[in-house]
Amino acid sequence: MGPLIPNDIITGDWNFVIAILIGIAFGFILEASGFSSSRNLAGVFYGYNFVVLRVFFTAVIVAMVGLLYFDYFGWLDLSKIFILPTFLSPMILGGVIMGVGFVMGGFCPGTSFTGIAIGKTDALFFAIGLFLGIFIFGEAYPYFANFYNSGNMGNVTLTDVTGIAAPWFALGFTVIALAAFWVTAEIEKKVRKNMKEYKF
Amino acid sequence: MNRNYLFLTLLMLVLAIGTFFIKKDDVYKNQIKPETLLQVITQPSRYVTTDQVAKRIIEKDPTLELIDVRLPGDFDKFTLPDAINVPLKDIFTDKGQDNLGIEDLNVVFFSNDDIIADQAWVIATRLGYKNMYVMKGGLNCWIETIINPTMPPETASEIEFEQFRFRKAASLYFTGGSTTQPVSVTKAKVKVRRKKKEKAASGGC
Repeated sequence: MGPLIPNDIITGDWNFVIAILIGIAFGFILEASGFSSSRNLAGVFYGYNFVVLRVFFTAVIVAMVGLLYFDYFGWLDLSKIFILPTFLSPMILGGVIMGVGFVMGGFCPGTSFTGIAIGKTDALFFAIGLFLGIFIFGEAYPYFANFYNSGNMGNVTLTDVTGIAAPWFALGFTVIALAAFWVTAEIEKKVRKNMKEYKF
Repeated sequence: MNRNYLFLTLLMLVLAIGTFFIKKDDVYKNQIKPETLLQVITQPSRYVTTDQVAKRIIEKDPTLELIDVRLPGDFDKFTLPDAINVPLKDIFTDKGQDNLGIEDLNVVFFSNDDIIADQAWVIATRLGYKNMYVMKGGLNCWIETIINPTMPPETASEIEFEQFRFRKAASLYFTGGSTTQPVSVTKAKVKVRRKKKEKAASGGC
């Protein structure tokens, strides 16, 4: 059946409608998970709150395992979905920059807007910085365009690169994620014992 | 820890392990490469003549499998002896493919001309089946060459007369021999004069 647009079940005009609906749902889930608080988000780096890790790992493994089942049941043809092209070294550097920005600012781009939505000042300043960064990036782009476009591996998946079947990754990630849930719960317990109850 | 978390943990683990057992059959795994398809598609070796088909039908060749790819309505009106009807669109179904890929069996596709049969051949080849042929010219050519063969001109070569004689005989075989012309008898005399060829020669459409 799916993907709906490539299979001509609905027209491409629905793209934005679907994007808005998914965007609303995404924002709601982020807020409901406590992602509008920079303390919650940065807590993962200080060891007192691992909600980020748990929420994102849950999303990853549910989506990962779910898509394999969807493919099996014929609801979504995985050979037809869009796979973001991989630029290895630029992505590693981008990840590092993102991580540094995350721990410094207490938000990631999406969550800063969730924060703004409920009136957080820090989120507002983060978002201003975000646009400033985008502007600087755009202006300075010619200086690192070569690096930005280097190492294009194409629209590859882990299975394509390693030759290991998708279920192994699904199981591997699930085991790691589930282990992380239980371990971080224990860490949280120990760390929080020594700190005052904080408010979001 | 909350018991719900324990339940969710176990559920997720079971689902993740379950992905090992839901491997979908790779429908494309038997498909040949596009380059290979392009190579074989340009080869005329897939064509067999109506004479070759007629000869094998008369000889009751057990390795011959005739597949009529026209619509069932046409198939009911007229077809070749012992032909199976697999309309073009059914080539994609398991039932249609039941008749393909049988060891030691040569499949010959035919339609009214050779266009639809060619399409069937390409699809089946793409699906990875082998030993398939197309009857050149289809049933139109069959009628023209086997059922109502025309006599070659006097100046024609012995091969052509040989072919004509074969076709007349085949025509008798397929039509029951009620509408024969005396031509075949006349041409039989020619056979005496010249050296007899072993093989029924091909040609036609």
